[in-house]
Amino acid sequence: MSIHTPPHQGLRVQRLSRQVGPQLLLDNLDLDVAPGEILALLGPSGCGKSTTLRLIAGLDPVSHGEIQLGGRTITQLAPAQRQVAMVFQSYALFPHLSVERNLSLGMELRGVPSQRLQEELDQVLALLQLEPLRWRRPAELSGGQRQRVALARALLRRPALFLLDEPMSNLDAQLREELRAELRQLLRSTGAPVLYVTHDQQEAMGLADRIAVLRDGRLQQIGTAEQLYNNPTNRFVARFLGTPSINLLDEGAIQLGLRPEHLQLRPADQKLPEGWRGIAATIAHQEWLGDRVIVHLHGGRHGQLKLQQPQPAGSGPWQLCWPRSAELHFDAIDGTRRP
Amino acid sequence: MARLLVLLWSLGPMLWQLYTSLRPAEALSGGGAAAWTLANYQQLLQGDPPFLRYLFNSAVVGGCSTLLTLVLAVPCAYGLSRLGQRSSRTLTVLVATAAAFPAVLLFLALLELARDWHLANNLLALSLPYSGLCLPLAILLLQAAFRDIPLELEEAALLEGLGLWQRLRWVLLPLMAPAIASAALLVFIFSWNEYPIALTWLSRSDLLTLAPAMARIAGSSVYTIPYGAFAAATVLGSAPLILLMLLFQRQIISGLTQGALKG
Repeated sequence: MSIHTPPHQGLRVQRLSRQVGPQLLLDNLDLDVAPGEILALLGPSGCGKSTTLRLIAGLDPVSHGEIQLGGRTITQLAPAQRQVAMVFQSYALFPHLSVERNLSLGMELRGVPSQRLQEELDQVLALLQLEPLRWRRPAELSGGQRQRVALARALLRRPALFLLDEPMSNLDAQLREELRAELRQLLRSTGAPVLYVTHDQQEAMGLADRIAVLRDGRLQQIGTAEQLYNNPTNRFVARFLGTPSINLLDEGAIQLGLRPEHLQLRPADQKLPEGWRGIAATIAHQEWLGDRVIVHLHGGRHGQLKLQQPQPAGSGPWQLCWPRSAELHFDAIDGTRRP
Repeated sequence: MARLLVLLWSLGPMLWQLYTSLRPAEALSGGGAAAWTLANYQQLLQGDPPFLRYLFNSAVVGGCSTLLTLVLAVPCAYGLSRLGQRSSRTLTVLVATAAAFPAVLLFLALLELARDWHLANNLLALSLPYSGLCLPLAILLLQAAFRDIPLELEEAALLEGLGLWQRLRWVLLPLMAPAIASAALLVFIFSWNEYPIALTWLSRSDLLTLAPAMARIAGSSVYTIPYGAFAAATVLGSAPLILLMLLFQRQIISGLTQGALKG
């Protein structure tokens, strides 16, 4: 291990904590985001993901821990000096100013020369196709347009780090899906590290290079979507990723985790090959989704189970079976992963 | 129909005053059908000092009081709205108590102050008690308006690198315009109408504000009550207020109902 580690150019968060009164909102968080990397912070509401953003932006004080950006420690700096841009969930556009003024106000007050300001403004307006909306007020824009204005404002800040706080949550589902690729490309092109907060697992999986799952202020797991999905460190992560969610079967001190796509229906009297297990189950109802079918089953003492397959199942009788290699084992009490 | 009745009910006295001000004295006391006349206005405007002088004095006091109140109330309200829950609630209750305190109880003390500090017969000094009395209400009004501005807007400005003054100037105050306009008008109207303090603090006739000046007109003769002149003074005195209200009515309404929908 060398003593002279080169300065880290991205974002590095070490043992970051925030405590308000007796409540620990964030507990010893460690994160690294490389330049040009998009890291999604994923978790249910109240898990500390927005707190993390606010601490890094400097909007809330850090209880202890350290934040480094581009090799510089910024833990105690004022928000304005951190060179950080943030897209708020509500977009936080100034309602009394036109799109153009919304974008230029910050630069103007930071003393950017007017010619450069104009050039950069035109460039960003063209990039985000906001040219025709230039003189509109935020109230006259659609949700997607407002989001683009908020992004444009963040881009014009020329930040060393992008923070996005659920930027898609105010958009309808279809638009969200359309914008995902566009947003990913745009954020990538800046070369700055990106921290993207969301509670939508599909958004995190589709947009981010790596995902950090948080729960109650603690980091559960960090890794690529594939690692998290196939190799979760605990029951919480396993349940949070994947739709329909993972099936959990009680087996004494152990819970079996089985992804719906790993389950199969076979005739009740068929003998199973080596390394497979099966239980008796009856079909409750089926959801036909076009490209796939989700079959809801009663599994006796195992309760409700879900299975995913390409075609609807016939009336049976069936047995529900799976290869043992697909099983994930969790501790029935604390949910930690067992071999 | 009901609206018409309400309108008549509230406009009636004003119209009566207007009518009275345009009639000669004989007609008012039942002395037959005299012609319409502007004599009452003439008498007022050519008096010594002319009536416009009082209007001017009131405008000066009103303008100063409004300005002073806003300069003090805006930072105060901003601070209160950004404080933590508990301390801000305590302070707000204190401010509300001050707003509810009966000003009548302060007259004697204020008079002493005026004497000790030589504040009598000074129009600018008169805006000190006026601002003081209006401050609590103005703070409460503006504080509610500050609270209605989403915190994220200010945080966005903070991340853009705007300092405190810049955030106020470019983001918060423009959004507060309706609330500020309505607070300003309330202060202005208060000082325009205020009588007891003006009466005790001002004695030189060329420095009188509207309210004591009108009282003087009404009591200028022992034997007759100059209804006509008094009505004309009322009309002239309320005209500027009506004008202001018409100019700013939209802001006032949106300012006063701001926060009515959100807790």
